[in-house]
Amino acid sequence: MSTLTLRGVRKSFGLLEVLHNVDLELEDGGFLVLLGPSGCGKSTLLSIIAGLEPASGGDVLIGERVVNDVHPKDRNIAMVFQSYALYPTMTVERNMGFGLEMRGVPTAERDGKVLDAARLLQVEHLLARKPGQLSGGQRQRVAMGRAIVRDPELFLFDEPLSNLDAKLRVEMRTEIKRLHDRLGTTVVYVTHDQVEAMTLGTRVAVMREGVIQQLADPQTIYDRPANMFVAGFIGSPAMNFISGVLEAGPGGPAFVYEAGRLRLSLPEPAMPRGVAMGRPVILGTRPEHLTLGSGSAARLSGTIDVVEPTGPDTMVVAMIGGQPVTARLPPRVALRPGEPVELAVDTSALNFFDPESGERL
Amino acid sequence: MMAQATRSRSKLFWDVASYALLLLLAFICIAPIVWTFLTSIKFEADIVTREMHYIPPRVTFENYVRLWNQSSYPVLVLNSLVVTSVTVLICLFTGTIASYAFSRFQFRGRTELMLGYLVVRMFPAVLMIIPLFIVMRQVGLLDSTIGLAIAYTSFLLPLFVWMLKGFFDAAPKELESAARIDGTTRLGAMFRIVIPIARNGLLATCVFVAIAAWNEFLFALMLTTSQGSRTWPVGLQLMVGEFQLPWGMLAAGGMISILPVVVLFAIVQRAMVAGITAGAVKG
Repeated sequence: MSTLTLRGVRKSFGLLEVLHNVDLELEDGGFLVLLGPSGCGKSTLLSIIAGLEPASGGDVLIGERVVNDVHPKDRNIAMVFQSYALYPTMTVERNMGFGLEMRGVPTAERDGKVLDAARLLQVEHLLARKPGQLSGGQRQRVAMGRAIVRDPELFLFDEPLSNLDAKLRVEMRTEIKRLHDRLGTTVVYVTHDQVEAMTLGTRVAVMREGVIQQLADPQTIYDRPANMFVAGFIGSPAMNFISGVLEAGPGGPAFVYEAGRLRLSLPEPAMPRGVAMGRPVILGTRPEHLTLGSGSAARLSGTIDVVEPTGPDTMVVAMIGGQPVTARLPPRVALRPGEPVELAVDTSALNFFDPESGERL
Repeated sequence: MMAQATRSRSKLFWDVASYALLLLLAFICIAPIVWTFLTSIKFEADIVTREMHYIPPRVTFENYVRLWNQSSYPVLVLNSLVVTSVTVLICLFTGTIASYAFSRFQFRGRTELMLGYLVVRMFPAVLMIIPLFIVMRQVGLLDSTIGLAIAYTSFLLPLFVWMLKGFFDAAPKELESAARIDGTTRLGAMFRIVIPIARNGLLATCVFVAIAAWNEFLFALMLTTSQGSRTWPVGLQLMVGEFQLPWGMLAAGGMISILPVVVLFAIVQRAMVAGITAGAVKG
């Protein structure tokens, strides 16, 4: 059964259309991450799911029910905001219990639920304080506690970690994952951070300019991106793109680049299906699929531009066919800028894109 | 050593100069009030004398007693209280909702309406008095406390709405979204979440309106004609007769009249300062 279904959801502000026909379905207990750069419409979509903004068209279903005209409070949802949105005039306890208070839950029951949630999030010693007396991380926990107390059908998170410092962000990310595993509630989570998307999501929707580019599980998005935008957005360092032409040569098919002077021999299974020979394509390969080695048949040749040791890896940027290509190599490689380099390509993990549409071939 | 001494000497000079200036300003502000108070506790015979007596030679509260028992002053104060309260109440009920709407909703004519509110404040009061007089006569509200309160509202409500809108703007909108998901209506979110946050601002705004209504003279002079609705500034002014000038009573009246303002300020001063700065610095 799916908890959340969107059918052809549109939203425009005046003449500006910010969401075009968004369709998606999220299974019960799933964790959907809406991922995209700022201004892609992900937060607007979340507001529409929450009922804070009306959609200009289409249907929003929570469970089996169309909730287009249902007030936010009757949608059985809870939301965690980027700014936490804790009520500054109320204590933590009242903040967490406010949703139940509004629903007329008896005080004793309310106190019990608030205490349970506070214990779960380790904020029970803060219950008597006001939000102004809490640190960023504590506020974040209280904001999540407020959502948990309500025991909703659907949790909505709007960039909940973006106001925290890097260390705390990683901690809270783990915490959110643990909570989801434990509570099993369905979650829609908005972020522009690809790491959050990859680590948390069971489903990731990559959005751009109001359109879902790809909706799949994180590994599929990473391994088989639907287009160059998704390929470039996910992964750090980003996927390498090399433009060239597919050709059938004497030694089998090959990817020819740098104005036909260099070739990358491809085994048959690596070739995109149904693509005519002689057509221009863009080859996409992840940095970790490149290794040092001249023995391999499938290799790229170029010159080293920059060597960036990061500790566990060394990122090597080489100029190949006039384009920078990053390779994730083992630490302590003896390479210097200006030297020629041969990078062996893992041909089982290649991606080909149409140069015009950017779509996967 | 020398340079340091010169610097500290020059600093001393500026310190003295600025304190002197501040003291002078304080004197200019406070002296009339002190003099009014001193006059109010003098005997009539000691007020107008050949030689100036700054310090009263004899102290009496006769002026206060006479003012309260033998003139219409208590009625004047009561009228002022009614007019001020009604003005504040009208502003509070209509203005709070109006400024919330201006702060939170985008609707057709919003900008024009807000501009209109501002334009009302740009005209000199004298210009508005005659039309207002005619309108009030037509609807039978001339010479009534309610009518006067409505007239005050006409120019104090824009002030109220503009001031309060600033405080509402400063309250994050996400809080209302959170409240609506938690189960309040829009109005519920406003009363339960936004107004408690903007409480100091609301208080400050009300005090501003109350003081303006309490001290207003021109409209009160034009729109009231009888004892029944006259406010204290007009009443005091009318005590000045052709052949007599009851300085003592006038001074006593002045002292009593500023009391509510002083008390109001003393009570809400901290909240007002907090409210004003909270509105000024966003967040």
